[in-house]
Amino acid sequence: MADFDEEANRLVLKLVFYGPALSGKTTNLTRLHDLLQPELKGEMMVLETKNDRTLFFDMLPLGVTAPSGLLIKLKLFTVPGQVAHDSTRKAVLSRADGIVFVADSQRNQSINNAESFENLADNVNRVGLNIETLPLVVQFNKRDLPDVLTEAEIMARWSKMTWPVMFASALEGQGVIESFRELLTQVFQSTDSMIGLQKSHGLDQEQFVSAVLGEGVGHE
Amino acid sequence: MNKGFSETLPLLDFDRELGLVELLGGVNKNKLFDSLSNLLGMPFCICTSKGEPVIGSREANMKFRLPLRAEMETVGYLETPTEQVDKTRSAVTLIELLLHSGARYLMASTLHLHAVKEDYEKLQKQHLALMESEARYKDLAENLEQRVSEQVKTIESTQLQLYQAEKMASVGQLAAGVAHEINNPIGFIQSNLVTAQSYVNDFAGLAKQVETGVEVDTMQAYLKEKDIEFVLEDFQGLLNECIDGARRVSVIVKDLKGFSNVDRSEEEIIDLNEVIQGVCNISVREITKHAELKLNLANLPMTRCKPAHLGQVFLNMLLNAGKAIKEKGEITVNSSLEGDRIRICISDTGSGISEENLKRIFDPFFTTADVGGGTGLGLSVSRDIIKAHGGEIEVESTPEQGTSFSIILPIVS
Repeated sequence: MADFDEEANRLVLKLVFYGPALSGKTTNLTRLHDLLQPELKGEMMVLETKNDRTLFFDMLPLGVTAPSGLLIKLKLFTVPGQVAHDSTRKAVLSRADGIVFVADSQRNQSINNAESFENLADNVNRVGLNIETLPLVVQFNKRDLPDVLTEAEIMARWSKMTWPVMFASALEGQGVIESFRELLTQVFQSTDSMIGLQKSHGLDQEQFVSAVLGEGVGHE
Repeated sequence: MNKGFSETLPLLDFDRELGLVELLGGVNKNKLFDSLSNLLGMPFCICTSKGEPVIGSREANMKFRLPLRAEMETVGYLETPTEQVDKTRSAVTLIELLLHSGARYLMASTLHLHAVKEDYEKLQKQHLALMESEARYKDLAENLEQRVSEQVKTIESTQLQLYQAEKMASVGQLAAGVAHEINNPIGFIQSNLVTAQSYVNDFAGLAKQVETGVEVDTMQAYLKEKDIEFVLEDFQGLLNECIDGARRVSVIVKDLKGFSNVDRSEEEIIDLNEVIQGVCNISVREITKHAELKLNLANLPMTRCKPAHLGQVFLNMLLNAGKAIKEKGEITVNSSLEGDRIRICISDTGSGISEENLKRIFDPFFTTADVGGGTGLGLSVSRDIIKAHGGEIEVESTPEQGTSFSIILPIVS
């Protein structure tokens, strides 16, 4: 749940990149760190093991200020994808405000994707959130690789779900911002309905998204 | 079990907002102070965003200050009396690196505790479930013996009921035949006795004449009139027939009695031929409607067995053989000695059994008879009885040619 500290005039939003092992969650975060130019951008915190596998999480803090002076901090986290780290995943996921589910487009990864999504649904439930209402974007990553499922095949499977499906190649920086933008839109709507970003802080959806992405207010 | 984990460790959120004091918590403050003093070459104070000093003391002359940022936010200030930008900026960079490193450690360690706690609780739950299941199995193991013996008792009693039911069914099939076998002699004994009664009247008339002392001529005329010579001869015949009839009834009754009660299954040392003979006697009427029964019995040694049970087996074989013969045929019962075993072979020239059915004839409740025509237990019970005697039962059959059951029993003295 959005952490609104009225005294410090600060709102913290937690956005989590979830998905099977080696699907490119950390790469997504690294690309966002490189590509985004928001008002405030902290250092990326990376906790990895020697073989580049995420051990606890990665974290990228971003910040924008609303016209009211409210500081909106967005903390982007990744979870460790390996099955064994389930308790860590659950802890990272607690109080999340939005999720990008990073799936691996390769044909041989379908089962891993499905199991990881099931695990996400379980954990969302266990930390007391509702997968039906939680802002969520599904990103099929690694479009640049050979032997991936076609977009039509993926859509045939996922279009019945309510969540938007995005395609990306994080390594090449494609689709990463688009996925994030889609998530920001949803997060704005759920946060706005909770604390009135537009009404009380003078920040509309377009301004919010543009500010976080660093496109400048009013940029089309 | 240690319940104290969650109580002794109040877990904070790993991603909570961290303040300056917390972020510098792991740093040796004296060493940092010395090091920064050397770098800056002037007095300084590191204070929180609210102005509380953390390292160094706040002096009135410290008019210059630079913000210390952690995670994009100002968490404190570096205050100095003069503005030496190169030095103060270097110090700020150094301190911010320490803050970042501190945040990294605090977040990772807190998250680690969350994960450990979660895993620990999972283990506790699994442990509890295992204990419960262990208790269940222990309970089961303790009661297993008793429950098995109860089950065995139930099975034994059910089996006895099945034996009894099967016996009743085969005896039922015999009833008509046996009734006729008994009725027949009783019928002619009755008619003979009526005739004998009239003969006794004739003798009574003669006795009266002797008593009143009538003439010899009159007496001779009476003897001739009554044909006493024939009466005497016939009377003898009638009585012989009655004796024979009564003997036949008594044999049947004896055979039936030896056969009637499964519960009364004491072991006896007997000649198996007698059992065969007895069973043939009570079933002959039933099975010889279409067939001829041939007995071919060799001399057998005495053996210990349960005659009532074996009688049930033989009866079963004979009734089956009788049913297999629809028009004209032959049933043969052979007994022979084979080393230390006795072989009894009951063959018929009837309709035979198909290969498919042959595999299943010893299965309980398998029957080719119409509903109500057979219990489907006869051969199953027979096999059990033979096995209980330590013997074997074999069957050979050719459809349309006949079936042959062989029973091999050990001789027990």
